[in-house]
Amino acid sequence: MALFVLEDVDFKGIIRYPHIKIEPCCTTFICGESGSGKSTLLKLLNGVISPTDGSIAYLGQDIDKLDPIALRRDVLFVGQAVYLFDKSIKDNFLAYYAYRDLDPISEAEIKHYLDICSLNLPIDSSCDVLSGGERQRVFIAINLSFCPKVLMMDEPTSALDDKNANALMENIKSHCKESDMTLIVVSHDRAIAEKYADQIILLEGGPGK
Amino acid sequence: MNEIISLNIAQFALIYLLLLIVLFIMKKCEINQTKLLMVASIRMTVQLVLAGLILTYIFENPHPVFTVVYIMLMTGFAIHTVLQRNKSINRNFKLIASVSLAASGLAVVCFFIMAVVGVSIFNPQYTIPISGMIIGNAMTGVSLGLKTFNENIHGQRVQIDALVNMGVTPKKILAPFVNGAIETALLPTLNSMLGMGIISLPGMMTGQILSGTMPMTAILYQIAIIVSVTAVTCLAVFGSLFFGCRTLYNERSQMLI
Repeated sequence: MALFVLEDVDFKGIIRYPHIKIEPCCTTFICGESGSGKSTLLKLLNGVISPTDGSIAYLGQDIDKLDPIALRRDVLFVGQAVYLFDKSIKDNFLAYYAYRDLDPISEAEIKHYLDICSLNLPIDSSCDVLSGGERQRVFIAINLSFCPKVLMMDEPTSALDDKNANALMENIKSHCKESDMTLIVVSHDRAIAEKYADQIILLEGGPGK
Repeated sequence: MNEIISLNIAQFALIYLLLLIVLFIMKKCEINQTKLLMVASIRMTVQLVLAGLILTYIFENPHPVFTVVYIMLMTGFAIHTVLQRNKSINRNFKLIASVSLAASGLAVVCFFIMAVVGVSIFNPQYTIPISGMIIGNAMTGVSLGLKTFNENIHGQRVQIDALVNMGVTPKKILAPFVNGAIETALLPTLNSMLGMGIISLPGMMTGQILSGTMPMTAILYQIAIIVSVTAVTCLAVFGSLFFGCRTLYNERSQMLI
């Protein structure tokens, strides 16, 4: 069964999507020009926004009929804007875990997820002195540690150089494969997409197309 | 106790000389608020003179309708002021803040007048001035609470989006913003309580003492009014924000801000 199926989806008359089918347990890249609705698509998939028209099915069920909070925890969306509290890396993990009503994560597990995100930093490092790329990876590591069924990332490599971008994608893709986690990535970087994607969805044109 | 000395117009007019000092300093320091000072002074004078005339009439011709109408006008003006200062909140939020301000204000006024003082709620001599203080403070509290809440949720949009995307419930996301705004709204009242009697003799007490009331009686009234002000601020701000913040998301837990 397909993970997501979009039929005639329209968002506020601004963006219209073609028929889209996303398969489970693989890596899907969404590419396209600015304004083609890549980020909006991710928000539609985890129910942060609803389509004006059309339907989106998650594992055969209309997402409008699913519990929105359970859906978002299953289909986790890591947005482009990173938010970290002015605390240490460890305290950021703990703060987000508290928000999610989860038991605190162990230090060993924090290190494990930081490793996956190619971050070799002490976990008591203060987040307000980290670079943009490091903050982005800490944020991805926190989201990854929630072990969702689907991880959706919006431009995860935008603040990284080629070496770090490849290391991050390599590690995350293999972690997702081991954990049967579906990975959906929005990227403007076609080279990265072609290297790591099992499926590429190309959204054409700007608004209304 | 000595009777209060009535001020004649000439004596009273002397006090406006102090405003000339304010005006001089404003000019000197190029503070561009001289127009506001003039408008505020004139409005304050006209409004208070009108209130004095109306209160004189009501006290000489006491009738429950006058008291009720006066309190309704006072509450209406307080709601109008709060909404004017917080124009950007949605319609339902405005409605909730208005109901919360009116209900908390009237509940505390009724408790103060009927249970603590032990007179009829329609007694204008007690109900009107005490309502003024209680509803006026509730207005300031709700205004400050809403402003703080609004500024913080818009300033922390990235944090809110990150938490929504992570599957955190909107109620849980907004709770710290509600709590922070209630704290901000309560702090001025709590701080003024600390200095009371040492740094300042509050307005109501000063007025009562000037008019010949025994200081201990004035103090008991003052303590009662300060406790009431704290309670009404807390209740009105809590009601406005706790219920109002639910208008910021829909049944699909999608944020509407």
